[in-house]
Amino acid sequence: MTCEEFERVLPELGDGHTFEQEAHLRSCSACSDLVADLSAISQQARLLQGSEEPSPWVWNSIEVALRQDGLIRQPHLEHSRTPAPLLGWKLRWLVPAAAMFLVVFGVLMFQRGTGQPHVAGQQNPPVGVETAGLQPMAGDDLQLLRTVGERMPSMRAEYEANLRSVNAYIRDAEQSAHSDPNDEVAQQYLRNAYQQKAMVYEMALDRSLP
Amino acid sequence: MTDAKKQQGNKLSEAEAIERAKQGDAEAFEALYNLHKRRVYSLCLRMTANTAAAEDLTQEAFLQLFRKIGTFRGESAFSTWLHRMSVNVVLMQLRKKGLPVVSLEETMETEEDAPRKEPGADDPRLAGSIDRMQLQRSVAALPPGYRMIFLLHDVEGYEHNEIAEMVGCSIGNSKSQLHKARMKLREILKTSRAEKATKP
Repeated sequence: MTCEEFERVLPELGDGHTFEQEAHLRSCSACSDLVADLSAISQQARLLQGSEEPSPWVWNSIEVALRQDGLIRQPHLEHSRTPAPLLGWKLRWLVPAAAMFLVVFGVLMFQRGTGQPHVAGQQNPPVGVETAGLQPMAGDDLQLLRTVGERMPSMRAEYEANLRSVNAYIRDAEQSAHSDPNDEVAQQYLRNAYQQKAMVYEMALDRSLP
Repeated sequence: MTDAKKQQGNKLSEAEAIERAKQGDAEAFEALYNLHKRRVYSLCLRMTANTAAAEDLTQEAFLQLFRKIGTFRGESAFSTWLHRMSVNVVLMQLRKKGLPVVSLEETMETEEDAPRKEPGADDPRLAGSIDRMQLQRSVAALPPGYRMIFLLHDVEGYEHNEIAEMVGCSIGNSKSQLHKARMKLREILKTSRAEKATKP
């Protein structure tokens, strides 16, 4: 089998190879490297899956539109645990809280930019919370998870997974931004990463309000 | 009753949520939204690389779906129906912006789009050296047609028969586009690595 023949059938190959294809891979480092690279790309792609969530306003806008269309045929207060005006008051406090969170992170980022790079997800690592193979979580994150655990125990695992995922995103984005501070794309990714974290906090606090 | 069991009892199954949404139940609509929002948003975000645009498209995709929910008869999986709608919404947006969207049935490609077949015999393997940011940037640099297939298959985990149904192409075409996408990504990642290596 030639390299050309092998590359022609490559799009059709799944995880398995025929005997002839295996033999070619053993004897040809170029094709073997190609298969390894394509496999690595495919595996790493999973890191990009669903780590982002849209902000809460997306659902709010959808709900408003559905009510206007008459597709939601229940009064708003029936399924809401909090009267609408009071819920609105509580949500209004979350917006500046989320903005403050972003500002604090931005300031910390600026201060770290003048000294040694420091990974956001590792600030103030508390004692005894490192799980095998996982980064220790910051005090603020642990506090949030404690709050979620008290108010909505069934959601704690999901929020922990969300926080770990967004912290990993922040770490990657910070590394990129630090390596080239003039890279606008990297800076935008970093801002996106902070926004994602602020959204996770906003949603957790919103849902855990009594 | 434990909290987990209560949660299980209270959670709507997708089928129940669909039936209740048809009756106008707000909680059912929200349950369907929460079940699928991440995958829809993730797809929109990867295709637009802009959070505001992605949120607008996510909203549009769900609204189109919910407005037609009365006609859903279960012939295909609900998620496939939703993601087909998301793909259409994204493609329409790209066309509105005048961005070149290569038809997924076309096999002709421009010189710029086609992955180059260079020997590169001395290039070390990519395995172990790809990080999320690099890959994210590289995916954003793919032509929209390749990017869509790559996102649906390698990122979101859809099979080729599902992708073919969603985007309206053949299974063979889906496999071919995916392969080209991966080859193009390999080229972009190697170029990027070579550029970094030459920087002082």
